[in-house]
Amino acid sequence: MIKLEQVTKKYGATVAVNGLSLEVNEGEVCVLIGPSGCGKTTTLRMINRLIEPTSGRILVNGKDTSQVKPEQLRRSIGYAIQSVGLFPHLTVATNIATVPELLHWDKTRIARRVEELLTLVGLSPAEYAGKYPSQLSGGEAQRIGVARALAADPPILLMDEPFGAVDPLTRERLQAQFVAIQQELKKTVILVTHDLDEAIRLADLIAIMAAGKLVQYDTPETTLSRPASKFVHDFVGSDRALKRLSRISVESFIKSAPTVTINASIKQAEAAIGSRRSAWVVDDKGQLLGWIDRTDLSQVSSISEGMVTLESKDIALWQNATLREALSRMLGQGFKSIPVVDEDTKLIGEVTLGDVEAATAEAEE
Amino acid sequence: MPDRQTRRWIILALASAAFIALIASTGVWEASLRFLFPQESQVLHPRASLLTLVVEHLGLVGISSSLTILIGVPLGIWVTCPGGRNFLPIVTDLTSFGQTFPPVAVLALAVPMLGFGLVPTVVALFLYGLLPVVRNTIAGLRAVPPHLLDAAYGMGMGRFQALFRVEIPLAARVILAGIRISVIINIGTAMIGAAIGAGGLGSPIIAGLVQDNLAYIIEGAVPAAILAVLADQLLANVEGSFAYMPEEATR
Repeated sequence: MIKLEQVTKKYGATVAVNGLSLEVNEGEVCVLIGPSGCGKTTTLRMINRLIEPTSGRILVNGKDTSQVKPEQLRRSIGYAIQSVGLFPHLTVATNIATVPELLHWDKTRIARRVEELLTLVGLSPAEYAGKYPSQLSGGEAQRIGVARALAADPPILLMDEPFGAVDPLTRERLQAQFVAIQQELKKTVILVTHDLDEAIRLADLIAIMAAGKLVQYDTPETTLSRPASKFVHDFVGSDRALKRLSRISVESFIKSAPTVTINASIKQAEAAIGSRRSAWVVDDKGQLLGWIDRTDLSQVSSISEGMVTLESKDIALWQNATLREALSRMLGQGFKSIPVVDEDTKLIGEVTLGDVEAATAEAEE
Repeated sequence: MPDRQTRRWIILALASAAFIALIASTGVWEASLRFLFPQESQVLHPRASLLTLVVEHLGLVGISSSLTILIGVPLGIWVTCPGGRNFLPIVTDLTSFGQTFPPVAVLALAVPMLGFGLVPTVVALFLYGLLPVVRNTIAGLRAVPPHLLDAAYGMGMGRFQALFRVEIPLAARVILAGIRISVIINIGTAMIGAAIGAGGLGSPIIAGLVQDNLAYIIEGAVPAAILAVLADQLLANVEGSFAYMPEEATR
């Protein structure tokens, strides 16, 4: 879909990008990452010809971009930047409509598309369409920025630190939303970031750059487990095993957990726990209420008396959480196993410390 | 209850109507000036009616300011574009020079070449009013944040699209502020046109100075002052309607 062939960009004597070759297939998310000044933003901006390469070729869909009019090329490539760049004199709806208007879509089609996109990024069209950028929070502005980039449904999306200018909590939410949107839309994305965790979370392929050169281009898993050089090794850091955990969903590690319902008898509970130390307590709809210790069973007359109540949102993991989150909960709560719930907070199983250790050991190999 | 902006337009319309009624009622002027200056044999300049003088004055200001805007704004835009950037120092120097050079001196130089009357006056006023318009156009366009241009070009706008959809709307208030200053200066400066026969509200003032008739001077000065205030308010309202940020519109 996107192919860079020996692309070089020089500014006088300085070489910003040096003989870079890179290929991104359709529907893949490629994250360009590296220390500042490594040429990642220059590379991104050469793809939509905001910067012209000194030498080399860039092919989009097999077509040499230097043969396409820059404006025409850019209208077929979504572009989202860190500073968002929403036009302050235009409403949210008009901002999103920028590229469709440049492409002369008719009014009703534009209006429908704006509504679609606002819904896609999780903002109510009725409430937001008429707002001005100055009335938006940082996170909302970023989402509008992404909506605007997606407006004309371009097959390719270029993103320059699109989640950079917001607080960590909002960033995490935006990243999760991006993953969800990307699963639905399957765009070909090239994203620039300096945040390794973001890269690991979002990327299908990570391109690590240093001093204008590509030093490793691999899946996040491979990058973390087999750094190609000392530079990459240092760049991904000594906690790369831990980082790798954030690529792994708990889903495949969920085990059936010993469970007792709240109104079961003590005998039933003892049977359910068996030789284990404790069991999770659920209500008759299967929703997590707490846990009970085996040693407490003999001293109480009902489950509810001996149960330790849990706020499920504080401890339980969603089924699509990562092993890194699981580990973090375990360490935070001092538990060796963590309950996993589905969207309706129904208990579906548990993840144990042993599984996380095993996954970590595998990553270290 | 109309909003603040609408109220300002209504007040301006009423004030302008009152002004027109006032300058049209020659009787009122004659009576009040005669009351103030009983010693003068004549209190109204005989050359033309007050209404005619105001119309002449507005004509001078209108023509010269239109030229200033029509040439000044594109000039400012051009020198901030990549194509005209090399001319930026020359243009700023020349426009500054145009303003440092007194309009009376321009008149003195222009008369031998262009003769008497409207044309040399318009030339002098045009040159004199150019600086604030060009300066503010340049300043306004330069204040457009670079990341907005990056976004504009990155989404596929051409140079003109970026200019008309993003740069000019964002710079509009600053440009308009420059136009406002230029027009106000122009209303005052246009008085000198009378010295070379271009007419306007300068005529009674010059006649009054020559003949030592204070009533004539007042006849010219008071309408000119009111005219300046009205023009200022008009342009302030136009400027205000370009407030694109909602909290600014309500301020």
